[in-house]
Amino acid sequence: MNGSSRHDDGRLETVAVYALGALPEAEAREIAAHIAECPECAREYRALRAAANLVASGAETAEFAPNELQSQRMKNAIMREVRASLQPASAKPEAGALPVAPRVPWLAYLAAAACLAVAFLSTSQLGAVRAQHERDVAQVAQLRAQLDRQQRTEAILAEALQPAAARFPVGLGLVARSNGRIILAMQHMPAPPKGKVYQAWTLRRGAKSVAPSITFTPDASGDLVVELPGSAADLAAVAVSVEPEGGSTVPTSKPLFVRPLS
Amino acid sequence: MARVRDRDPAAFESLYDGFHRLVYGIAQRMLADPTAAEDLTQAVFLKVWANPDAFRGGNFGAWIARVARNRALDVLRARSARPEAEIPADLGTDHDLDDAVLSKIEGERVRAALTALPEEQRMPIELGFFAGVTHEEIARRTGTPLGTVKTRIRSGLRKLREALETSAA
Repeated sequence: MNGSSRHDDGRLETVAVYALGALPEAEAREIAAHIAECPECAREYRALRAAANLVASGAETAEFAPNELQSQRMKNAIMREVRASLQPASAKPEAGALPVAPRVPWLAYLAAAACLAVAFLSTSQLGAVRAQHERDVAQVAQLRAQLDRQQRTEAILAEALQPAAARFPVGLGLVARSNGRIILAMQHMPAPPKGKVYQAWTLRRGAKSVAPSITFTPDASGDLVVELPGSAADLAAVAVSVEPEGGSTVPTSKPLFVRPLS
Repeated sequence: MARVRDRDPAAFESLYDGFHRLVYGIAQRMLADPTAAEDLTQAVFLKVWANPDAFRGGNFGAWIARVARNRALDVLRARSARPEAEIPADLGTDHDLDDAVLSKIEGERVRAALTALPEEQRMPIELGFFAGVTHEEIARRTGTPLGTVKTRIRSGLRKLREALETSAA
């Protein structure tokens, strides 16, 4: 334990501010390193962070509540997406798609086959069949979640590739501006080092410094399609750098690229 | 959540009914923009639907609130023309920090405990949490010495925890 990691009660107030998430970047990094080596401060951090996490519940008040119309509008939009995600791909044919063999309703066949099989099984065998069925259901749920993510990615990618979109190549892919939004589409991106993420940065016209945007990591194959929050209006450039998990307020590493949007 | 993982839309609808006011409330409080708050609420719930395994147990309300807050901080960061030290760096979701004592606490109790805090302690905590500003900015906005702000944040969080522990007992 070196001097900076020795416990000092004077640091506990800084630990509390860190637990709330209200320390500036440099101080946050310093106290995080100290907490990692000081059991007393780590205990204080865990206790106060758990309390700080619950502060969000204070936002559920009449002052900030949605009205009925908003609640219903959001619900309709969300449930429309949810139901669409449950439809088999064959129910949503795309114009110009090649004809394909009709999909076998395999879930129905699976259920029917399971029923027939169960009729011939003893009670002990029934347990094994049920366990297998539960594994199948879990696998189907996992595949559906994967399909949801894939469909979302494809929708964003389609947006980036539509004729009206402005596309700006970068080393591993492109930055696209479409319908007032910025989309990053990359391939073969290396996984960031442990404890690090990629972070996007935006530069508005006339601004002297970049503003932090979202953090992200590519999938296992190195592919990445991500939409930046906020409007693309007045953006002069987009950059990406490697940052500590949780992101930074200013870039702490040399950017992978800085792409002017012109 | 188990039924949501099994892709049950009715279960997901119930989840929305139970928690959308919390998510929207956080978004509206942090972004002060009803349209942005609606967008964020939809994005958060669709993220839950697309990846229910991201919730690894514990207090679902506290978890989805963190997701909403982090997403709102992303929006604030994107909006910010002055990124220098405006938004705190510690944005981790800290799945492992849901401790057993506080994991069953309901929102109503938290609101009561927050309301019971002295104004001088509640205000810096809420500013730090919902406005995503640093303790220095809190000191500037409230005209309070920095050391006093830090003391009040710590005292307030400790008092909040004690109150919640007592109500959970």
